[in-house]
Amino acid sequence: MNTPALLEGLRFIDTFFPSGGYAFSSGLEAAIQGGEVKNSDQLARYVGDLLRGGMSRREAFAVKWANQAGSGGNVSLAAQVDRELDSTKLSRESRMASRQMGRQVIRMAADQLRTKTVLGEYRDAIESEQAPGHLAVCFGLTLGVSGWEPEAAVAAFLYQTAVGFVSAAMRLSPIGQHEGQRILSEWLPLIDRISRETDSDAAMSSWSPIQDIYSMRHGRLEWRLFRS
Amino acid sequence: MQASTRPRKKTASGRRTAQKRNTSEKRSPSGKRSTSPTFSTEFIGRVGELRLDYVKPDRRTIIAHSYFTTPWKLLPPIYLDDTGAAYTLLVNPSGGLVGGDHLSIDMSLDRDTHVLISSPSANRVYRTESKVSQQHIDITVGPGAILEWVPEHTIPFAGSRFRQILHATLAPGGTLLLWDAVASGRIAREERWAFTDLENEIRITTASGSSLLERYVLDPATDLGCVGLAEEWNYVASFYVVNDAVASDTWSRLESKIASVLDERPGHVLGGVSTPTVPGVAIKLLTQTAPDLTYMLDTLWAIIREELWNLPPVSLRKY
Repeated sequence: MNTPALLEGLRFIDTFFPSGGYAFSSGLEAAIQGGEVKNSDQLARYVGDLLRGGMSRREAFAVKWANQAGSGGNVSLAAQVDRELDSTKLSRESRMASRQMGRQVIRMAADQLRTKTVLGEYRDAIESEQAPGHLAVCFGLTLGVSGWEPEAAVAAFLYQTAVGFVSAAMRLSPIGQHEGQRILSEWLPLIDRISRETDSDAAMSSWSPIQDIYSMRHGRLEWRLFRS
Repeated sequence: MQASTRPRKKTASGRRTAQKRNTSEKRSPSGKRSTSPTFSTEFIGRVGELRLDYVKPDRRTIIAHSYFTTPWKLLPPIYLDDTGAAYTLLVNPSGGLVGGDHLSIDMSLDRDTHVLISSPSANRVYRTESKVSQQHIDITVGPGAILEWVPEHTIPFAGSRFRQILHATLAPGGTLLLWDAVASGRIAREERWAFTDLENEIRITTASGSSLLERYVLDPATDLGCVGLAEEWNYVASFYVVNDAVASDTWSRLESKIASVLDERPGHVLGGVSTPTVPGVAIKLLTQTAPDLTYMLDTLWAIIREELWNLPPVSLRKY
């Protein structure tokens, strides 16, 4: 990857990018209140399990395909993957969070990378409800047109997700920055492996029943800091 | 992207049939005898096909056409109450699935029919050295029809390989209640999550073309296919209710009632409910014991029947 492509993509991965991700915990808040996650080791297991079973064959798969759709200018392929991803997201809050963040990414990307017409076409497809606009797809598409390889795009997406969990955990529990960085470093080999092993020829699948359940339970918490 | 494929083909009439079928003298659904030139015993009792077409000519739902090959057996429907709902048991007297077995069910519900499906006992999947045990289910629910699909859970034995694919298509106003549960193994033998691989795909498609999809692939020997945190539990279940003609406030009410029930047994049951992409509710739950699983099914099912149709729970008379 050349340096301009790297820098172009980094903007969308950086926590400074206004995707709104700070408002969502993807069910972690419910897991902490429910006693599933009480310390940093349990957080590491909870998120590692989600990356492994829940996202390695679903979101990672979607990023990879969308990335290829982006580099090839194939809007219909991106929409197909997007709809498939949408149908697997059974929790309303997680589904809406992913769609909201995805729309933020595609709007910004389409506005700023005007020469990449596929981004504008996809934004229009989302706004006319031809595609749901999930984060994994919009992210993969944007990095694809920016010149990122599929593996790098998957790794970046999972890294961003992992950072989001650590950030949420630091606000929900007594986990400090140093501990957060330690947990993050533990996930890096897993993220690397997923990015290389994601088989985009397989069917999209996901196994994370516990995280799915906590995501469903979030909407009924008596007090909430996050929107998901 | 590759959609899951089924090793089946379509006949000239457009109906799906198992690709390899035994050549017994049973008549085909079209009434013609099989004319296959080869006679292979290899697939007898192992490639079983069950087809059921329901209609409602008057106040009762009946089976208008049926067809089955070994190991499937068909018993006449039972009428448990005065609603006219046809209660049909999926009977496989062979004791379970072994490697290479390929069972299929093709079911259609005509307009305004009401069908209740269950099985007499758990779906046992035996150890295999190589071949996968497969079950393919295709369901079509007509306008205004109701299907309550509540089979017993699947028990994947140590070393088993199981693949289930269930696709359901709903016409406008059609309702599907779908319960699907899997055990970690033969728990009394302390055999838990010891199968070789397990694949499950449930897709429910509404008349608008939108769908709900649950698909997981577990191969515990691999890092990315491991059972993970769910290993601490013994049963995993999903319960889906879909109908595109029900008002959204009914789903909200149902969701609220279900959520309360899911909180009744903390530590023994962990469950969540939400509204999926299609009109309806999706429930996921984990339990430690079979009685807890049965209790949750009975309780949730009763709530759904009451909320949607003001009907009391039914007793399936199995025990």
